[in-house]
Amino acid sequence: MNLARAPLVALALLAALLLVGLPLVASGYVLAVAIGMLQFMVLATAWALFSGPTHYISLASAAFFGIGAYAAAMAAEIVPWPVVLMLATLGGFVIALVVGLSTLRLSGVYFVIFTFGLTELIRQLVTWYEVNVKGTMGRYLFLDIPQSAIYWQLLALAVAVLLASWLINRSRFGLAARVIGADEMVARHTGIDTTRVKIALFALSSAIMALAGAIMAPRWTYIDPTIAFNPMISFQVVIMALLGGAGALFGPLLGAVPLVLLFEILQANFPNAYSILLGAVFILIVYGLPRGVIGLVDDLRSTAPPKPAGALVVQPARDQSVLAITDLKRSFGGLNAVDGVSFEVRPGEIVGLVGPNGSGKTTVLNLISGALKPDSGGIRYMGRAIAAENPETIARYGIARTFQLVRVLPAMSVAENVAPGLAFRALPMTGADARDEAEALLARVGLHHKADLPAAELTYIDQKRLELARALALEPKLLLLDEWLAGLNPTELEEGIALIEALRLDGMSIVMVEHVMDAIHALCDRCVVMNAGRIIAEGTPRLALAEPEVVRAYLGEPDA
Amino acid sequence: MLLIDILISGLVLGGMYALISMGLTLQYGVARIMNLAYGEFLVGAAFLAFWLYSDLGISPLAGLIVAVPLAFLANWAIYRYLLTPLVNRAKSRGQLEVDSILATFGLLFIVQGVALVAFGGQYYSYGYLSVPVSVLGTTLALNRLIAFLFAGLIGIGLYLALTRTRTGTAIRAIAINPTAASLVAIDVRTASAFAFALGGALVAAGGVLVSMFLTFNASMGVVFTMKALIVVIVGGVGNVIGALVVGLALGVIETGVTRLVDPGLTLAVTYALFMIVLLIRPQGLFGSPAR
Repeated sequence: MNLARAPLVALALLAALLLVGLPLVASGYVLAVAIGMLQFMVLATAWALFSGPTHYISLASAAFFGIGAYAAAMAAEIVPWPVVLMLATLGGFVIALVVGLSTLRLSGVYFVIFTFGLTELIRQLVTWYEVNVKGTMGRYLFLDIPQSAIYWQLLALAVAVLLASWLINRSRFGLAARVIGADEMVARHTGIDTTRVKIALFALSSAIMALAGAIMAPRWTYIDPTIAFNPMISFQVVIMALLGGAGALFGPLLGAVPLVLLFEILQANFPNAYSILLGAVFILIVYGLPRGVIGLVDDLRSTAPPKPAGALVVQPARDQSVLAITDLKRSFGGLNAVDGVSFEVRPGEIVGLVGPNGSGKTTVLNLISGALKPDSGGIRYMGRAIAAENPETIARYGIARTFQLVRVLPAMSVAENVAPGLAFRALPMTGADARDEAEALLARVGLHHKADLPAAELTYIDQKRLELARALALEPKLLLLDEWLAGLNPTELEEGIALIEALRLDGMSIVMVEHVMDAIHALCDRCVVMNAGRIIAEGTPRLALAEPEVVRAYLGEPDA
Repeated sequence: MLLIDILISGLVLGGMYALISMGLTLQYGVARIMNLAYGEFLVGAAFLAFWLYSDLGISPLAGLIVAVPLAFLANWAIYRYLLTPLVNRAKSRGQLEVDSILATFGLLFIVQGVALVAFGGQYYSYGYLSVPVSVLGTTLALNRLIAFLFAGLIGIGLYLALTRTRTGTAIRAIAINPTAASLVAIDVRTASAFAFALGGALVAAGGVLVSMFLTFNASMGVVFTMKALIVVIVGGVGNVIGALVVGLALGVIETGVTRLVDPGLTLAVTYALFMIVLLIRPQGLFGSPAR
């Protein structure tokens, strides 16, 4: 062991000892406050486990806490305590699955609205059940579980939750959640099954809250729906996680400690104005500390020094047939954006998709990459029909894309932007290998010295490079470039053309939507020219672009 | 004649939901603020009407003249001073949504706390025009009928204002695309503040009308916010007609559940409705599919 760290280790051990031994020495009041603190530490950390990285705000902590508490009250008479805890956890998990399955496929607002009323909904349902089925409201709990036992159970749960959060943050799963929070569309196009990740994290977080509720249940001797489902808890949990910083492991913990003390003081001195003061504190935090205390600390630190670049990586890939599109159609209302398009991409070929603005080129790319579903027609990739597949599945098959309007994940570092593609492709790569690979990819696109910068600080050109690196991380066999060369200066254009040429030599097939004629002539084996959703010419760039109809589409009719 | 009974009582209640939801669709669809404190202004207006009637003897309908402009000003101030910093800070629509959800969540507890301090947790009601009248064979309290008529008048007025005036057209343009609206010289900031304030005025009108025939207490704002949110989503965000139709439907369905099944299950039914629509048409019944 390093000698310099010995005092730290000793301190940590002492703290642990104090924490575990607290019930043996503390007074009843101190223990009660400590239990309150632990309860909120668990709830806030569990909340941040899901809402922190994904930015899906859950307002239903009280619902799941209440489910656990109520389940415990119902089961405690019948089964032994450990089984009670398991049942409560399961209850929270299952209900979260139902909520998640019905709302998390959709945009975030639906989820927020759903969770906003969930506590009230479940409270009403339980009340209805108690009145109509059982005949009486409320239940008595005669359990011989002392305060100290509750404390130790909560402490164990808190440690377990922190450990779980830490492990998840380090895993592919945690990475996926952060990408979802940054840009859900990018997440799908890098092969992440966003719905599954969101539902799994939400269910896990909710199950933990339910378990906390069950552990806390013996503190009440009498429990009814109004006591168990107290909406204030949802509010307190969010406020704590936000104060500490929901994005960091210890953030919610840091928020829980001072706020539980503050609530204690407020409740003792201003019982009537409690909710007003709480609201005011909350608003202050939202305005003053949008990223929490941890965010403040991060801002004060300087960025890490750049790392040296890695070696160039070559990815050989040769296959029989790559892409075959037949009679593809897609309309938006009355506009036939893509109207019967058919073309093929052969291995190692670069196909240019050109045409005036609004001719349907980007829609074709969106259809191939799964962002849109065709109305009719077929898309076969390596002989496999992919027209009905999700973006994430298509990405994993090896079709990668860049976006016409760049979509980097601004808050994440350049290297982190590349990591998800590596972690979610068909042959996933994580840990040190992934770091090396990411550096190699960045070196290849010319970003080797910028791996640790936040992506938002890159220039426009560098953001385009980063998008390409992110696409390459999927180890694609087919690359879809949407005006990737637009806006580059002559030197950069030359570099860009050389880079794309090099990708072809690696065996990639490329479909590029492009307006830069020099690049089309230099790179494309074939051009597909579109106008108003249809293909009007096809062939080598020189021939296709000289067709009279193409000239007419670009320049209009000659004056009579 | 139970069915006609349910239909008529349901439509009266639904008229209130529709009015309230139209206000929320203005706040969320146009000003892009997801206002979780929305229902609190309904409760606030209800208490104001209660106070005006029982202490000063002013009729709730005259109370509208006080409550509506007051709510307009209060909501304008909230948008201007509380929410504009968030609008300026937001880099994307998603971030504004998250920030506004959080800020108005805090506001909810403040307003609710004030109401609790002032009025306590008990239920309130007052008797104004509770004379029975007969409509199509169904007996209805006159106050309900008048509330419904007023809601209808306000709703029609709003619809005409949105479709027939320059300001209304600007507001609808912002609902569809704020960036494009600003490109055709619409002052998005001012119009958003106006739409937000107008939404607040509508919910206050709803509060005064609701107080005439429903019992209310300081902590029931959340349920109204919830129902209005669901109506707005199901009707299609920013769509005033959608809010109207779905609001009326919700009133009828709720009344049906209350009469035929159990009053304790109304919120559950609202939720079930919400879930079914989300499964079938995620963009809302009257919304257009996103590209």
